[in-house]
Amino acid sequence: MTAPLIHNSSTAPADRLPASPSAPPAPASKPGPERHRWSGRSRKDFLVFLAMALPNLVLIGTFTYWPLINNIYYSTLDWTLGSASATVVGLQNYVTFFTSEDASKVLGTTAVFTLITVGGSMVLGLLVALALNSKVRGTTFARSAVFAPYVLSGVGVGLVWLFIFDPGYGVLAWILRGMGQQSPQWINDPQLSLVMVIIVYIWKNLGYCAVVYLAGLQSLPRDVMEAAALDGANGLRRFLNISLPLLSPTTFFLLITTMLSSLQAFDLIRIMTPLGNGTSTLIYEAYLQAFGAYNRAGYSAAISVVLFAILLVITVLQLRFVERKVHYS
Amino acid sequence: MRTNLDRRHFLGLAGLGAGAAALAACGGPSTAGTADAVDTAAIDFTGVKPAASIDFWTNHPGKSQDVEKAIIEKFHPKFPDIKVNLVTAGANYEEIAQKFQTSQAAKTGLPGLVVLSDVWWFRYFSNGSIIPIDGLVKQLDIKIDDFQKSLVDDYKYDDKQWALPYGRSTPLFYYNKDHFKAAGLPDRAPATWQEFAEWAPKLKATSGAQYAYIYPALAGYAGWTLQNNLWGWGGSWSKDWDITCDSKESVAALQWAQDSIYKDAWAGVSSKEAADDFAAGITSSTISSTGSLLGVLKAAKFNVGVGFLPGGPEVPSGVCPTGGAGLGIPSGITKEEQLAAATFLKFMTEPENTAAFSAATGYMPTRLSADMSAVLAATPQIKTAMDQLAATKVQDNARVFLPGADQEMAKSAAKILTQQGDVQATMTELKKTLEGIYTKDVKPKLKA
Repeated sequence: MTAPLIHNSSTAPADRLPASPSAPPAPASKPGPERHRWSGRSRKDFLVFLAMALPNLVLIGTFTYWPLINNIYYSTLDWTLGSASATVVGLQNYVTFFTSEDASKVLGTTAVFTLITVGGSMVLGLLVALALNSKVRGTTFARSAVFAPYVLSGVGVGLVWLFIFDPGYGVLAWILRGMGQQSPQWINDPQLSLVMVIIVYIWKNLGYCAVVYLAGLQSLPRDVMEAAALDGANGLRRFLNISLPLLSPTTFFLLITTMLSSLQAFDLIRIMTPLGNGTSTLIYEAYLQAFGAYNRAGYSAAISVVLFAILLVITVLQLRFVERKVHYS
Repeated sequence: MRTNLDRRHFLGLAGLGAGAAALAACGGPSTAGTADAVDTAAIDFTGVKPAASIDFWTNHPGKSQDVEKAIIEKFHPKFPDIKVNLVTAGANYEEIAQKFQTSQAAKTGLPGLVVLSDVWWFRYFSNGSIIPIDGLVKQLDIKIDDFQKSLVDDYKYDDKQWALPYGRSTPLFYYNKDHFKAAGLPDRAPATWQEFAEWAPKLKATSGAQYAYIYPALAGYAGWTLQNNLWGWGGSWSKDWDITCDSKESVAALQWAQDSIYKDAWAGVSSKEAADDFAAGITSSTISSTGSLLGVLKAAKFNVGVGFLPGGPEVPSGVCPTGGAGLGIPSGITKEEQLAAATFLKFMTEPENTAAFSAATGYMPTRLSADMSAVLAATPQIKTAMDQLAATKVQDNARVFLPGADQEMAKSAAKILTQQGDVQATMTELKKTLEGIYTKDVKPKLKA
């Protein structure tokens, strides 16, 4: 993984400084500063840039930003999905959401799901990466096996795990019955449903964290480790004082990507708990409100905007405060 | 810093936008105050030529894909100018509704004919998403009088017919004859739940099954099947538009259900599909749709018995709700497509086709003149479902007309039956929720 570059904004190039208002204007006959010159080559470069970037920008604008803006507009409507008409209600959908009992439940579920899945995937991923980093036989196969769940379809994974968790004829219930125990009501009990989905989500995603951490571990400088070992630092100390700080760019990268991913987790929740009973995170609640039984499209759009705002704030906070603690070299 | 911040923001926004795109791409509504209601007077099909092709959106209720295909194959030679495309539009009524509502919002990709369940058709009506079919019934000479009256009347509102019955069902009591025999019980369904409560310990002791009875999966249609218990105890989800789920009778019914699981410990709650649990031998009995009958008979490795739903201490009989789905025609398609759809609708509900559908699934035949002799000879259990129709009752308004009520009922039932929640408090909370839905989503749309 390549460490992101850090630009020091306090040392802006001289050519970006504004011209002094007292400076005499350049003679018209003389060419301006070199940066203003629109040479044939730079025009060509710009056209190439446009040719490369414009199609993507058009696509992103059409399929990402335009719907995003539309969504914000819909959040101000009282609109039943499927209905051709709607009423403008301003911020009423937001007021309804934040004053309803559902808001605290949904936000709480989102927080629990996100924190545990992000923390669980990263901690377990790191432990697995440490195991895979050791020079023993079978690590190549183990790496593939650990990463495989990540590339599997969430729908398929959800269905298989539902069979495992089914309290009636699931594999887990069968094992528990063999031990004289009844299976917990994984699917009907809202709290256990959340536990079930979290377990499966971590299982599916820890391979991603493991592989990224493994790449980070393998790029750590050997000389530093060897020096620490010569100085008498044991394995745990080397890990805590050297490896972990040097892995901070990797940890930071994973923190952002897994958090965004967890906040937008949908497929497993949809397949394993279609009613969202106990598992309604913000994104799933937005789905249920619009496309589930309620058809409250405007209200759903408002929840989506709340999710958007939360993601934006988290990302900005991470970039502004967490990244400062990251060691890039 | 700036370069990375922008790039990440950009990526973050892109990811977020993708989520929002699903909703926003649906197309927008008008805020100019236009009414949803279909202008029924404008629907005149005189001189209209049926479209050459229509889509039929179905979830294949009761695993009916093969029989639906067969009926369409019979349709094509009779109406060579109309091609019907069979489209699997979802795995259940909710998924098909989701697809239909989304297409409705996007104003594109609508089918000619769509399966609509008991809890969805009224929503489509109130959104103006389906047309009244009275004009088409007249023009195509569809014999409305030959349909089961109670089933066809379910789709009447405002003196108009909005759909025709298709895969119509009632819940049925399924029992394992072998288990009943081993327990020394009579070979029949219990007359009341009190009678079953006496049988249950014997069943539990002798059958080897996990449960004497399993409640249908709450994530499915708990609101539908639990109406039987509520009605038997003299309660209900609602009476007309008054929410009565917190009444003394309703609470008593659900308290009894909770006790059967926690206190008496002979009942359980299905996680996915009670009919599958029953066929797998996990329970000695359950209640499930008649549409599951053929599937259960095929899958079960024991003798299956079926019977009417048990009554309760207050109302000993006639406590079975109707259910299932009908077929409707969208308003957002051309008249040519609507006429073609109606032509297929007429064919699909012809007596011989409803008999074939019934034979393949276990759903009730919707036509009075359907010749069921061959079907009943092959599957005599279907007769029980047909006979029970006379003892059915129209569902409570709260369940079928309030958007999302079925889900709220399921959540409340889960609280009571799987978390041992306080019944009175849960029902009081449910009442508040249902009244909120009624006031916001339904009352403004009702005719004065």
